[in-house]
Amino acid sequence: MEKYLYTALFAPLVSSLFVALFASRPKMLFTGVIASILIAISMVSSFVLLIDVNTHGALHVNMMDWIVAGNLYIPFGFVVDEVSVIMMVTVTLVSTVVHIYSIGYMDHDKSFNRFFSYLSAFVFSMMILVMSDNFVGLFIGWEGVGLCSWLLIGFWYHKHSASWAANEAFIMNRIADLGMLMGLFLIYWNVGSLQYEEVFATLKDLDSVVVATIGIFLFIGAMGKSAQFPLHTWLADAMEGPTPVSALIHAATMVTAGVYLVIRCGELYSMIPDVGFAIASLGAFVALFAASMALVNNDLKRIIAYSTLSQLGYMFVAAGLGAYWIALFHLMTHAFFKSLLFLGAGNVMHAMHDELNIKKMGGLYGSMKATAILMSVASVALAGIYPLAGFFSKDKILEVAFNEGAYFLWFALFIGAGLTAFYSFRLVMLVFFGEKEYIKHGFHPHEAQPFVIYALLPLGLLAVIAGWFEHQFEGFTTRLLARYEIHISHGIEIVLIGATLCIAVGGIAFAIYKYQRGGFSKTWEEGFFYKLLSNQYYIPKVYELYIMRPFTMLSQFVWQKIDMKVVDFTVDSIARTIYKTGEKSRKMQSGNLSDMLRWMVVGMVVLLVLALFYRPMA
Amino acid sequence: MEHILSLLVFFPAVAGLLGFLVAKESIRAYGISVSVIEFCLSLILWIGFDSANAGYQFVEYYAFIPSYGMSYYLGVDGISLFLVILSTFITMIALIGLSIEKDIKNLIISVLFLEMTMVGVFLILDVIWFYAFWELSLVPMLYIIGGWGGERRMYAAIKFFLYTFAGSVLMLVGILYMGFLYYEATGIWSFALPDWYLLQVPFKAQLWLFGAFFLGFAIKVPMFPFHTWLPYAHGQAPTIGSVILAAVLLKMGSYGFVRFSLPLFPDATVYFLIPVAIICIIMVIYAAMIAYAQEDMKQVIAYSSISHMGIVILGTFAMNAEGITGSIFLMLSHGIVSGALFMLVGVIYDRRHTKMIRDFGGLAQVMPNFATVYGIMLMASVGLPLTVGFVGEFLSLVGFYRISWILTLLAGTGIILGAVYMLVLYKKSFFGQVVHEENRSLKDLNAKELSALIPLVLLVAILGIYPKPLLSTIDMSVQKMLVLMDQKAIEPATKELIMKANSIGGTH
Repeated sequence: MEKYLYTALFAPLVSSLFVALFASRPKMLFTGVIASILIAISMVSSFVLLIDVNTHGALHVNMMDWIVAGNLYIPFGFVVDEVSVIMMVTVTLVSTVVHIYSIGYMDHDKSFNRFFSYLSAFVFSMMILVMSDNFVGLFIGWEGVGLCSWLLIGFWYHKHSASWAANEAFIMNRIADLGMLMGLFLIYWNVGSLQYEEVFATLKDLDSVVVATIGIFLFIGAMGKSAQFPLHTWLADAMEGPTPVSALIHAATMVTAGVYLVIRCGELYSMIPDVGFAIASLGAFVALFAASMALVNNDLKRIIAYSTLSQLGYMFVAAGLGAYWIALFHLMTHAFFKSLLFLGAGNVMHAMHDELNIKKMGGLYGSMKATAILMSVASVALAGIYPLAGFFSKDKILEVAFNEGAYFLWFALFIGAGLTAFYSFRLVMLVFFGEKEYIKHGFHPHEAQPFVIYALLPLGLLAVIAGWFEHQFEGFTTRLLARYEIHISHGIEIVLIGATLCIAVGGIAFAIYKYQRGGFSKTWEEGFFYKLLSNQYYIPKVYELYIMRPFTMLSQFVWQKIDMKVVDFTVDSIARTIYKTGEKSRKMQSGNLSDMLRWMVVGMVVLLVLALFYRPMA
Repeated sequence: MEHILSLLVFFPAVAGLLGFLVAKESIRAYGISVSVIEFCLSLILWIGFDSANAGYQFVEYYAFIPSYGMSYYLGVDGISLFLVILSTFITMIALIGLSIEKDIKNLIISVLFLEMTMVGVFLILDVIWFYAFWELSLVPMLYIIGGWGGERRMYAAIKFFLYTFAGSVLMLVGILYMGFLYYEATGIWSFALPDWYLLQVPFKAQLWLFGAFFLGFAIKVPMFPFHTWLPYAHGQAPTIGSVILAAVLLKMGSYGFVRFSLPLFPDATVYFLIPVAIICIIMVIYAAMIAYAQEDMKQVIAYSSISHMGIVILGTFAMNAEGITGSIFLMLSHGIVSGALFMLVGVIYDRRHTKMIRDFGGLAQVMPNFATVYGIMLMASVGLPLTVGFVGEFLSLVGFYRISWILTLLAGTGIILGAVYMLVLYKKSFFGQVVHEENRSLKDLNAKELSALIPLVLLVAILGIYPKPLLSTIDMSVQKMLVLMDQKAIEPATKELIMKANSIGGTH
């Protein structure tokens, strides 16, 4: 089985390096095709491993040593167990679809080859992230996906906004990475190892404060990658990247790495329920907070980005409350329907010549039926309507919150479910139905190429059926992850499900009702709340004004005033003083006999005075 | 193999002298051949090196002035081995990439003499000779900056010379005092470092000696607030000068800490540990902020060197194998990466005769290969895993975490601020549209530049993925040094700290 493991892991790397050879050449179709095939091979291997893990259990290999110094030993070791294999399957499946889709989407891009090289490099990094058997290995992937995200957000680097967003994403993630590194250091000095197995085995011997600190530090890392408040602003700006990138990196895989980390460290977090509850609370807050921003936004991709943010909040609620398999389940189903939603949005953008304002669309159903249907399916799944995938996973999270007695969190998620349904269908309505606004703006939309639509079908299918495998999924993953018992009586459970369904259906119905009649009146847009939401609670402005500008000004000050005017000036002054002293005292050596005699007398006097007053210590 | 160390030290100098006889047309080829041979010699040294032996190898010892205990004493261990290879490698790469035509003969001879002093500093075990090599290294660099530098080259060259010279004179006082202490204790004179290692210096004397050595090393590194010569030197030096200065000469200072300060004065090291660490943190943050404010591409890299050297010194003062091994590895990786970055600045300077960031923009479109190599070095500089930059940085910080988590957190901000100034620099220079007409017709990397840069790129990847051969060799000698420090420590607090720094678990 090891050869499948290495194939799954390294096929994307081979793809990336091979395609990189042609990176600066003009478009060559075969680079996209070969990259897609290699990623598909990785996917097949992952599925083989899934079956193997199911029958034979986890697979663990130690490829080679990496860092060895002092007591520290870090190998390149990989583990394929119930958690990582689910991640591998999810990642490679979505990646394969995105690769094939990109052949169509990037068709006219002059950097077609370069794109595939980056995209495959991302898949490789993501595989390292999920397959590593130790924290530093995970950190390799963690930083690797960050690098690929930087490369891909800034893919159209001639655009100022794209390269700015790329830097923002990288730097914000670095802030969180520092927290994560601190967590790793703390683990090392308490356990003496960074291997998952040894760390989790030793945890129970550690002081609870240490464990809590480790948990907090690691979660800070997760907050960056999964764009949790207050490190969330980069995700919406990351939509500057090509849409397949948004689908793969900023919806399905990379941003869920933080959730994966918490799930992977489940044994750690279950020891510190208080920290877990804080994580869940932050998650519930983000679920509402992000959903509220999605309500008013008019940017097609940003709406979906906020939705991703909101759903990540849901996952953190489950993970924080100890329902790790449910978090993983929602992570998986979300990957399917959210990437589908993004890829559909990509079709719309192509049809509309990269126009993103949904107010300028409308009535696109007529010209792009397939995309409209796929996106509607994804939206229904996202809204959590029975029997689509989102229903099973999201509903479980609400049950968990209720089960823990965290009624406040449950209520937040409950409202969030309604908002999700509303904004999803606001988008569908404004894009595909209603008035054909695009005619006024002179667009001639067309459906995407057939193979692009076919490539999306697997995701569409999974968005529908993935939830039906809930029990198999639970049985499989809880071999490794902690079981989660729900003690709610059957009656209440039915009521809860009913209530959630109602609010979701209500949200959809309200959106359809409202936007069939032309939406909200203009006066809404003058209101305080609308402005607050459409400006993202003014948080990016606050960051700009109170962090970035002061930092720039302070840096200028430190350089020009402190370094040049104080430190360097002092050094030069010392040198100048020495030089001047020499210059001045040189006059003593004038060679004039009477001058010299006078100095001699001065010298004699000084020496005599010294001789008079100096008493050697007895 | 018996005299390989002497050969390594003096071959470049002898070849440099013979270089005066070589015709001007063939001096480039001559210089490169000499540096390649020297590099191969250092590789032979590595092959012959027994990595299971933590002590000095290939030792050569001849009495020099026996009445005063001065000797010609060479030896190499895991700590110095790779610094020697780094010196010969960087000299070779710098000569391959050399693009200066003016007085090239004198320049190449200066570089070869400089190579002798660098290799000498890392291989010599007699402290008087060490001092001689240390000071001699200033002379060729003074010529390189003063002779081939930019507009204000004289100011920069003299500042560089006098500043570092002033620091090392104090070190000389320290060396003589240490020699005297040895004489007092044993009745015989010796300036051999291995002899000194065996001497337990009284605590009070340690503090003074540590201070004297510290000044010499700190100016060389350069540590805050003694760093202001560096931006001028880099600003004015020709590319080859900057490459060697950043890649190797700065490491003499940090090597000095490992070789002298720690094992000779363990109690003083522990006594001054926190103040030194605070200076390191100031270096990391302060220099990173200044780097961010720079308008000149070369100055960004110059200040980033100061920032990175802060982590190097911090790792050295971690007092455990993780930190010290990491800091030595970080010296190597910083040598490779900063050398490459200065070389890249030289590439664009040769084409545009400007280093100002505002004169660039959109370079990725016209020079894709240049942008790629620059991007790889950028990522190594910000310490991305699987590049050479990560290993040393990670180990240094891991090591120091055991001493103080809060100081490590502050030093760790370097990984954020480093990303800030490097990415902003990259964005302004390479991304966006080409706004200056002159930039539209820029040529991408030529064969000469590629042949200098590709080995650096390969090293960044290879040592990032498989650093173990280097780490384990370094680690062996570092562990030996730590044992020595523990044995020599006078104060109980020192023993306690070394014990704590090297053990897992327990209190913090």
